[in-house]
Amino acid sequence: MSDTLTADVIGRRVEVNGEHATVRFAGVVPPVAGPWLGVEWDNPERGKHDGSHEGTVYFKCRHPTGGSFIRPNKVNFGTDFLTAIKNRYVLEDGPEEDRKEQIVTIGNKPVETIVNCSCSGIKNNYFYVFYIRKVDLSKNLLSSWDEVIHIADQLRHLEVLNVSENKLKFPSGSVLTGTLSALKVLVLNQTGITWAEVLRCAAGCPGLEELYLESNNIFISERPTDVLQTVKLLDLSSNQLIDENQLYLIAHLPRLEQLILSDTGISSLHFPDAGIGCKTSMFPSLKYLVVNDNQISQWSFFNELEKLPSLQALSCLRNPLTKEDKEAETARLLIIASIGQLKTLNKCEILPEERRRAELDYRKAFGNEWKQAGGHKDPEKNRLSEEFLTAHPRYQFLCLKYGAPEDWELKTQQPLMLKNQLLTLKIKYPHQLDQKVLEKQLPGSMTIQKVKGLLSRLLKVPVSDLLLSYESPKKPGREIELENDLKSLQFYSVENGDCLLVRW
Amino acid sequence: MRECLSIHIGQAGIQIGDACWELYCLEHGIQPNSVVLDRQQDQLENAKMEHTNASFDTFFCETRAGKHVPRALFVDLEPTVIDGIRTGQHRSLFHPEQLLSGKEDAANNYARGRYSVGSEVIDLVLERTRKLAEQCGGLQGFLIFRSFGGGTGSGFTSLLMERLTGEYSRKTKLEFSVYPAPRISTAVVEPYNSVLTTHSTTEHTDCTFMVDNEAVYDICHRKLGVECPSHASINRLVVQVVSSITASLRFEGPLNVDLIEFQTNLVPYPRIHFPMTAFAPIVSADKAYHEQFSVSDITTACFESSNQLVKCNPRLGKYMACCLLYRGDVVPKEVNAAIAATKSRHSVQFVDWCPTGFKVGINNWPPMVMPGGDLAKVHRSICMLSNTTAIVEAWARLDHKFDLMYAKRAFLHWYLREGMEEAEFLEAREDLAALERDYEEVGQSF
Repeated sequence: MSDTLTADVIGRRVEVNGEHATVRFAGVVPPVAGPWLGVEWDNPERGKHDGSHEGTVYFKCRHPTGGSFIRPNKVNFGTDFLTAIKNRYVLEDGPEEDRKEQIVTIGNKPVETIVNCSCSGIKNNYFYVFYIRKVDLSKNLLSSWDEVIHIADQLRHLEVLNVSENKLKFPSGSVLTGTLSALKVLVLNQTGITWAEVLRCAAGCPGLEELYLESNNIFISERPTDVLQTVKLLDLSSNQLIDENQLYLIAHLPRLEQLILSDTGISSLHFPDAGIGCKTSMFPSLKYLVVNDNQISQWSFFNELEKLPSLQALSCLRNPLTKEDKEAETARLLIIASIGQLKTLNKCEILPEERRRAELDYRKAFGNEWKQAGGHKDPEKNRLSEEFLTAHPRYQFLCLKYGAPEDWELKTQQPLMLKNQLLTLKIKYPHQLDQKVLEKQLPGSMTIQKVKGLLSRLLKVPVSDLLLSYESPKKPGREIELENDLKSLQFYSVENGDCLLVRW
Repeated sequence: MRECLSIHIGQAGIQIGDACWELYCLEHGIQPNSVVLDRQQDQLENAKMEHTNASFDTFFCETRAGKHVPRALFVDLEPTVIDGIRTGQHRSLFHPEQLLSGKEDAANNYARGRYSVGSEVIDLVLERTRKLAEQCGGLQGFLIFRSFGGGTGSGFTSLLMERLTGEYSRKTKLEFSVYPAPRISTAVVEPYNSVLTTHSTTEHTDCTFMVDNEAVYDICHRKLGVECPSHASINRLVVQVVSSITASLRFEGPLNVDLIEFQTNLVPYPRIHFPMTAFAPIVSADKAYHEQFSVSDITTACFESSNQLVKCNPRLGKYMACCLLYRGDVVPKEVNAAIAATKSRHSVQFVDWCPTGFKVGINNWPPMVMPGGDLAKVHRSICMLSNTTAIVEAWARLDHKFDLMYAKRAFLHWYLREGMEEAEFLEAREDLAALERDYEEVGQSF
């Protein structure tokens, strides 16, 4: 296309040596003669200026180095859809009976829509493209949704349409051109589309089942009322402006089964309409939720997910809460225990064994907290604090399932420090009643010989004269001799609070 | 014509087989009860189906009742794994005579699989194989699925291969073997079993495609976001490769690759027949449609070590031959451009004596994925089979482990008890050492 000084060239998408841009200006730029095109690059650093040259502003760019002036013949406007298909698949004109290909991928070939398809009478050429079910027009030079519809309208059986990475201009009016009645999958990743525009486009796709909107800086601004009601999968990854409040607006899509919220910066979710232990009315059909690469750092997130009525699978990788490798195992068990109906976590099936282990671990881990919050085996005496119930909504259920945690289960292991292993012993001298009763802390591993040595220094009595025995308050009246010097106090089962008897 | 018989041996072989036939049925539209899915869509679809019925034939046998029965045999020396198939989802797909199980297993012992327990079952297996072969108009060859490390997979396979060569000498025999992973092992005596089986099967196999559990495990974990990959996830990925390799046998395509063509193009010397497998693109289902993969993207990707299904470093070796099997929306123009780009890259080094090393296969039927699986559906995929000298690293590792155990004669008595002799061990080890030397020799420059 060499005729470039017509006004309709403005807004068209072009390609120059692999870089895509939008035409913003066409005309003369003095002092250099000849026609120039002013373009705004997709890549903001590719250009030389922001649309002005020697003081005069020819067009505006969003970025100071986003624009350039280029000669029209250096620029590629692309080809039309049919030509692109012919070029790629090297097809002959006329109908082909044996059309096997259902997928048409015009991935990297610049395609711009035909402006003259039906009126120049080449309708019959559409015979062989008529049965196309899947079209991939990503990374092309389509500049508006109308152009997309123009192509798609002719393809009556179109089920999958991918127009990612095309900077499209969307219709502003509420009236839409064309209906894509067979369309099931629509992919609009990286098109710069807004939520309002999504809803308008979706109005033309009554049977839409999967909608992909990755990386569009979407901000969900309104609740879809008549549209998107058949959607089963919604991909909102990498839209950093989304937060949990916006999710309420899509919470009532009746058929939504899979929701992908990876890399959206989400840190929490709340379902205020449901109390502890109840199910929310939001997201009624949601089976699979993906929240990888987010900012989830609170365990309460999973307690909220427990409120979802249909949730079966969750993917929650690379969040601050689950990041540490060492704790990945514990994190997994805690998540499983928090969400009762979960069947698959991070694409690994949760086997009944694993669920049991996770729930028992959870019950034990928070047992002491439960006790302190008023928990008790006897249902009559059980009065749990609000705080505990909010933090551990499933705890009561776990107690019912496995029984309340026993005391012996909850005994915490004392850390292995020396001071925890010392036995506090009283030392009495039965023959010397005037001597004071001493209290000493001795390690259990101390041998009798060493104990005697200690006492000998204390009492100024030679070691060989000492005779040791001990008695325990647990067994009053019984005295046990400590006759073997080489054995330790532990060997004789001397315990905390016992009393050593020294005679000489 | 051109039928292929698949024989699945041992637990690994059978589990891969299960996933494999499930995928084939999905691709051909066959229901679990062996009936072809009746597509009530427009005429063009029906025309397409008729056209491809001929290609069904290579892997499925159509009975008079209209059912399509796989041309496969499942063999194991103990019943539990096969019982899983007998009671599983696809039980009505197979005829009961195709599922053979013994009573006493090989207990991870090559000697039992080959001599004692295996010899009791071999005649029955051969008889069934004969029956299946008789149903074929022009049998092309056999595809054997097994693992190196198990008792049945190693011992029984070597026995079977020997007998198959005897009966069907002119038929191709290709193997899909699960090689013992370098750092994850499932049996202590893996090195013994692997070395012994390699020694005895090498002369009977035409080509062995190797897959290693650790590499696939890493792929599942890193690329597919699966936290703890189970054998099911691993097998689903492996069968994508198997499906790509057999795609040209099952579907018509612009550039088909037959079983014999694999041999001719990948095997420069009879003993150097261990190509490495790689697959691209591997995209998680959660990231479907996020990236576009052009033909050149996927071609470059399959030369990366993260897409390989065997742990070895091809940059340390040289390529002798490379087979690129494209599937889906691929046009020859793009393939030529991609290959030209690859040849110009320094990281892909070919041996001096093989200037044109690439064999290309194109099949336009798109790759399919199992519903509910971890992989995303993509428009096009590539499976690369490359015969690289770097695979000698895998053998060296194995030989080293063998040497460590054999030096102490550890675990040897289990093999000797079943009637083997130490001489066989020495012979096998010698053979593998010779194989390593052969690889080094072919990799040398003039």
